[in-house]
Amino acid sequence: MATARSEHAFVDKFPDEAGVIKATFLVAFVALGIGAFFGLIQALHRTNVVRVIDSADYYTMLTGHGVLLAIVFTIFFLCGVFHWATARSLDRPAESKLFSWAWVGLMLTGTILATVAILGGLVPSLGMSADVLFTFYAPLQAHPIFYIGLAMFIVGTWLAGADWFLSYRAWRKDNADERIPLQAFMVLTTMIMWYISTLGVAVSVVFFLIPWSLGLIESVNPLLTRTLFWYFGHPIVYFWLMPAYLMWYTVLPKLAGGRLFSDPLARVVFVLFLLLSTPVGIHHQYLDPGIAEGFKFIAMTNTMFLLLPSLLTAFTVVASVEHGARQRGGEGYLRWLGALPWRDPAFTGMALAGAMFAAGGFSGMINAGMNINYLIHNTLWVPGHFHLTVGTAVALTMMAGSYWLVPQVTGTKLYSRPIGLLQVIMWFVGMVFMSNAMHRAGLAGIPRRTAEPQYQNFEFLTPIGSIFELRVQIALGGTLLFLSVVLFLFNILLTSLGEESERPVDAYLPEPLSGPEGSPRILDNLAMWTGIAALLVVLAYTLPLAGIIQNGGGLFGGGLPVPATVSAGLDFVLMTVTSAFNTLLGVVA
Amino acid sequence: MKLTKARALVLIAFSVPIAIELRTVAGFFNVELPLIAVAVIEFLFLALLFVLYGLYGEGSNAAA
Ligand code: HEM
Ligand SMILES: [Cu+2]
Repeated sequence: MATARSEHAFVDKFPDEAGVIKATFLVAFVALGIGAFFGLIQALHRTNVVRVIDSADYYTMLTGHGVLLAIVFTIFFLCGVFHWATARSLDRPAESKLFSWAWVGLMLTGTILATVAILGGLVPSLGMSADVLFTFYAPLQAHPIFYIGLAMFIVGTWLAGADWFLSYRAWRKDNADERIPLQAFMVLTTMIMWYISTLGVAVSVVFFLIPWSLGLIESVNPLLTRTLFWYFGHPIVYFWLMPAYLMWYTVLPKLAGGRLFSDPLARVVFVLFLLLSTPVGIHHQYLDPGIAEGFKFIAMTNTMFLLLPSLLTAFTVVASVEHGARQRGGEGYLRWLGALPWRDPAFTGMALAGAMFAAGGFSGMINAGMNINYLIHNTLWVPGHFHLTVGTAVALTMMAGSYWLVPQVTGTKLYSRPIGLLQVIMWFVGMVFMSNAMHRAGLAGIPRRTAEPQYQNFEFLTPIGSIFELRVQIALGGTLLFLSVVLFLFNILLTSLGEESERPVDAYLPEPLSGPEGSPRILDNLAMWTGIAALLVVLAYTLPLAGIIQNGGGLFGGGLPVPATVSAGLDFVLMTVTSAFNTLLGVVA
Repeated sequence: MKLTKARALVLIAFSVPIAIELRTVAGFFNVELPLIAVAVIEFLFLALLFVLYGLYGEGSNAAA
């Protein structure tokens, strides 16, 4: 206890880092506010409750919503959390203040460019638009500054990762024999995964989409850009999720009154995510012609392996929370749940986020199944699923975590705990309404990404209830969610404007019950894990990519796509290798 | 155990998904539950919670 009280607030110990984190959080929260507003407009528009935009502008809104929430809010917030976690767990400031501000600046410039291009769609006289949705693959085309902004944003995240690796290297010099502290380990493994996976989207943006939008090349191979997108589009899911896991593993048990069960297990989970996140992206392309069924099947089995680290996490985090409840006097099989600190919005928000993640995990397994996927592909089921996962497991954890993190970087006390509690509960209830109805609407066959889900002479049918009820639920849920965001922003704004406090929050994090000594040293061998991860990617993607280039009419498209088989991909690789070999022989001879 | 405001709120939150999916559960047993029945059940639950809060809630001095 004594150490807890004497520990400085983060902002006193690392004032420069606190400044960087405040800036990233500020951008994240502004994006959250605008994105949530767009979400409300969409929810009311497509359910035909209130229409304030032209249906022709629906894609502009949807692009703004997806980009600002799923890319800008999540990633800026994550950079703040990782910056905090690195400085805190390595117990040292970043190597160069200037460098930290450089990546913040680069990411921010990229964000502004991309946002301007998107919002330009609302002002037709500008002749600029980017109604390409947050998945931005061909054949939809955006104004070049959208892609350029995106590229700057991604390079910004690369530099942010470099910042944390530099910290780690400096720490390693002083602590040659120590185990990597858990939070730093989580940050580094997540960033390695990010480097590997963003390579795909960077190739797509730099070599295909930018030249194409500038008119330098005439066409692109749409299947290739789609595949390169999903090569990154699945791992980005874990890039969103890992900061939430970081908080569930290292902060949530403390808030519950206990400590993490097992540090080695947490490390295993992060290594598994590093290895398994990238070689599965094809599971988003079950319905794409031009990729052989066999490769789709492999992607499906690989995806099912990803359940393992998620289930390990569920067990470990629940066990740690239960341990905390029992420390607080909780008893019985389930009665211990009552002993948890439900009054604390940081705890309650994260706990509710975790509960909803379980539901999202189940609908995710349905998405992943190759044959069941055909039933719900591109229906409202899909947004139902990811509003539970990224929209709640991640976003709600980030909001709840803010109630604990923000005071540490501002040095002020949280403005209101009751408002915070109301806010996280409103998110939970609003999301139950919206995403449950979206799942059901998807089962009834209502498509996603449409301003007008009603069709003439066609009626969607539900087994239970009516389509009308589902519309009402989506509109009601969306409204509650938006109000929840308003409460959140209000609470955080007043917190940051508040008076400095001696001890803004109890920032002490207890040691895990079972510490890192128990885990094999090989877990800390980051170079080896990177090598294995890269190898798995090569194995999973070489043949499909070869087939896609061949069947889709070459690197830059143009030809007509042909249905694919595994052997066609193999033939292509063999042909390429043979001809390269022959050329080589020719040169040698 | 005292029924605090926070615990009551969390209970209300968890009652919402249960209420919404009540008709599905009833459907498994071939019972067609009308929407209004669900609304009444949820309302009764909230009323019960209200009464319990009055009896054992934060402000009361009854020991739980
Ligand atoms: C105020 C809260 C929110 C509301 C009311 C809301 C509502 C909606 C609606 C109605 C759609 C459109 C579905 C369609 O037409 O296909 C949508 C799509 C989407 N939402 Fe949200 N949402 C909210 C929060 C979030 C959050 C927090 C995230 C992520 C962090 C998120 C990510 C997305 C994404 C990625 C899409 C898909 C865009 C696309 O299809 O290109 N939303 N949302
Ligand atoms: Cu995926």
